[in-house]
Amino acid sequence: MRSLLLLIALCLSSACGPADDSPLVVYGLEVTPPRPGMNMSAGYFEIHNNTGKAISITRAESPQFDAVELHETTTVDGVSRMRPVDALVIAPGTTLKLERGGKHLMLMRPVEEPLETVELRLYDNDTLLLSVNTRVASD
Amino acid sequence: MNRTLLIATLMAALVAGTLLALNMDRAGSTASAAAPRVATVLPEPQALPEFSLTDHTGTERDRSFLEGQWNLVFFGFTHCPDICPTTLATLSSARKELLEANAGTLPRIVLVSVDPERDTPEKLAEYINYFGEGNLALTGPEAAIRELTEPLFVYFNRVPLENGSYTVDHSSVVLLIDPEGRFHSLFSGPHNVADYVHDLPIVTSRT
Repeated sequence: MRSLLLLIALCLSSACGPADDSPLVVYGLEVTPPRPGMNMSAGYFEIHNNTGKAISITRAESPQFDAVELHETTTVDGVSRMRPVDALVIAPGTTLKLERGGKHLMLMRPVEEPLETVELRLYDNDTLLLSVNTRVASD
Repeated sequence: MNRTLLIATLMAALVAGTLLALNMDRAGSTASAAAPRVATVLPEPQALPEFSLTDHTGTERDRSFLEGQWNLVFFGFTHCPDICPTTLATLSSARKELLEANAGTLPRIVLVSVDPERDTPEKLAEYINYFGEGNLALTGPEAAIRELTEPLFVYFNRVPLENGSYTVDHSSVVLLIDPEGRFHSLFSGPHNVADYVHDLPIVTSRT
């Protein structure tokens, strides 16, 4: 199981695409730079579930941030609302998009400066689903 | 005689129809080229309400400070990691593209904070300058902010979160203010660069 997770992690570069047959595949990972005065970043990616069962991400963490929360922005009748969510559920055989104006990761209080690379760890409760690294995006 | 009349009538109808079609096409093309894609232009620009807020340099500003140039006004806050920086980056990119295309009027980007407790002038200065030079950010006591937002039907509401912090629900609209300090047009979103690059030269030419 550990080797499988490592394999997934190694594959989590932009080169991975939906054709990859690993159980979980992340692609298009982007972590925004913390804007001055803002002290937080956002994480966006797509994650594909190649298995026959739903997979839930219930929490995330990063060594480069004090806290990471699962969030969703919705805009209804012209009003934007951002709320924490309990889980990101990826249905069997589907891709879940974390995107601007929708579901996303909120990464709070960076502990490194300058922030160049970020490691994200995604969990289902105490079970590590995968770990993924990326360079911080530039605007 | 009847046959000749019939042919003449058909020819006249054909010519008239062709001319009508050409005119309609020309009119349609003109309208299409001059029509904004997403912006809603008010039939008559509306004067902004009186307000007094503090800008990111710590200077008191009223509505006269918005006069003399076009302004794109967004209502948001710095502790918003998703929709606020995305919208401001969109406006900044649109300005950059218009500048590179030498496409005329470049509105100033204005952020009106809806989180006055956390958005001090110092914090806003760090934040707004990230999105380009010449931008403006305004804050002040909540009541002073509402003197601007409520007459414009711009909504914001502080919402406590379980972790002890709070977020702010807010309107996602971007208002275009004309050089006379009047509410001229609005972009209701979702916001994307191509729409602003297309629409701004059109709507700013309508004064």
